[in-house]
Amino acid sequence: MSPEIFFQIIVNGLFTGGIYSLVAVGLTLIYGVMIIVNFAHGEFLMLGIYIAFLAWTLLGMDPYIVIPLAFVMVFGLGALIQRGLVQRVLDAHPLNQIILLVGVSTLLIGLVQFFFSAEPKAIHVPYETAVISAFGLRFAIARLVAFFASMLISLLLYLFLHYTRTGKAVRAVSQSRDAARLMGINVNFIYYLTFGIGAAVTAVAGVLLAPNHSMIPTMGQAYAVTAFVIVVLGTMGNFIGAFIGGLIIGVVEAIAGFYLGGDVKIIASMMIFILILLFRPAGLFGRNRS
Amino acid sequence: MTVENSGNNHNGKFRSWLSGLLLDWDRTQMLICFFLVVLLAIAPFFISSTYYLGIIILATIYAFIGISWNIVAGFTGQLLIAHIIFLAVGAYTTIVLFNNFMISPWVGILIGGVIAALCGAIVAFITLRYGLKVDYFALFTIALMVALRTLFLKWDYVGGAVGMWFRLTNPSFDKMIFENKAPYLYIAIGLVVIGLIIQYRIYRSKMGKYFLAIREDDDAASALGVNTSQYKMIAVVIGAAMAGIGGGFYVMYVTFIEPPQVFNLGLNVEIVMAGPIIGGLGSLAGPVVGALLNKPFAEIMRGALTEGRSGSSLIVYGSFLILTIMFMPRGVTGVLHTIYRKIISQYQRKAQGDS
Repeated sequence: MSPEIFFQIIVNGLFTGGIYSLVAVGLTLIYGVMIIVNFAHGEFLMLGIYIAFLAWTLLGMDPYIVIPLAFVMVFGLGALIQRGLVQRVLDAHPLNQIILLVGVSTLLIGLVQFFFSAEPKAIHVPYETAVISAFGLRFAIARLVAFFASMLISLLLYLFLHYTRTGKAVRAVSQSRDAARLMGINVNFIYYLTFGIGAAVTAVAGVLLAPNHSMIPTMGQAYAVTAFVIVVLGTMGNFIGAFIGGLIIGVVEAIAGFYLGGDVKIIASMMIFILILLFRPAGLFGRNRS
Repeated sequence: MTVENSGNNHNGKFRSWLSGLLLDWDRTQMLICFFLVVLLAIAPFFISSTYYLGIIILATIYAFIGISWNIVAGFTGQLLIAHIIFLAVGAYTTIVLFNNFMISPWVGILIGGVIAALCGAIVAFITLRYGLKVDYFALFTIALMVALRTLFLKWDYVGGAVGMWFRLTNPSFDKMIFENKAPYLYIAIGLVVIGLIIQYRIYRSKMGKYFLAIREDDDAASALGVNTSQYKMIAVVIGAAMAGIGGGFYVMYVTFIEPPQVFNLGLNVEIVMAGPIIGGLGSLAGPVVGALLNKPFAEIMRGALTEGRSGSSLIVYGSFLILTIMFMPRGVTGVLHTIYRKIISQYQRKAQGDS
């Protein structure tokens, strides 16, 4: 393998990994605060890309302009799902929580399929296939933008969690629900906020995919599975872990895709998943149970 | 005089047998299932439309597969979300054995069950022996399903992305191909009856109590000396074997299989999860009651209200799951149980008043 091809694969992997990071960060945020695995997570990504599709076909809006809109819409939906549904099963058996979220996922897929049909859809923006060449490498514009936008949003989210009062409250709740409540934090509000943000950043990842990906109602599942692998790799609830884990899985998949063919790359994530479960169930950044 | 006396005696015996049955909720549930099975069995005499009969057959198959999932998720509390993996393994085994080796489905379905059980043992061995938490286990099964879909899409021997049609020949009993639908229904009913008996035997056995203990509190059960990993594994293997058998029969009935169809969370919710959850997860009658309610309702929605647009059945199943968890977490059987307890306590109060 020549160095150019090698670096090209790494770059491609990082570009995909950026999106993975964003999806995984949303998932790990929700898990960290509520100790709930959001089994409907992929569907928020799917909603994001369909919002971009709708905005493009109805209003001719460029996907990148739709980002704030999609963020607000899916934030509202996520907060609503938290308030109306998830909140009421927080103390129930994990079985009930998971079944509820599988129900939400099934319902969302069903609704999108009902209105948009199961046929693949795509939007065709002018810069769909535009490419920049530099250092002997080729960067697809849409993927370049998606990568840097993901990085930026993850960074903003990190800054929000660490340097604002509300963000600190979110982290306090994730450390101890009861202690946070005793300190006067409105825990329920933090829950709505967290689920909303977790869903919204995932939807933004979906919008970022829109310029050069076709969409089907079940597309979220594959991303959700990858995000599950990433958060387990990067330790459930660990923000930095999910971020780095996303980039790692992106690069691993790109290398696996080069040797095995594009569709089989998920097998590589699967192998990583099994290895973590066998040897380090707490993930890279967690303490193993003795 | 003597004749009348013995008649009375007989009557008294019957009454005490019946009250013994009705005072035991487990047995009452089995009685409910028995009535439902009888209803299914006489259905072909009243329904001639093959469309409606087809829905009833599918609902019956779903009931059997629901029972298999109920043992793993309902009794043992292990959230084997993508249970459909084992259904797919059984289905693929049956169809490959028939198409490529001319092995009768009667045998092929059983072999499918055995291979599904082996897969179940492997999955359980990888995941459960470390006492993996419920949510990790659920994640693992979903990830495995997506990986298997990719593998099967690439695997040309089993049809790859094209899928596989069951090689239809002239109707014959030993190839499990029949001219009309009724025989399929009776085979499915046979499966449900066997499934119900297995489920009941497990539930009443010591092993069943261990399963329930693991569901309620894993650590406590372990502290009391239950080998939790072993019993979880047994539950998964039993569930997988039954799902494999159900899958083999399912593919015989629908005659076609392709990876995106079977390795699919939507179908998984429809076939595996909706029945037991809506009927009442962990109850004896739940899977049968749920499957017989769901499938016809989803079909009515699809046919009448939404003009057959795709996605409507997903909307129905998704809303059903959400509504069940929010408003009746113990399902339809749970509601029946509450009514049952009221009736029984009234009856007992009356009996006490009489004496």
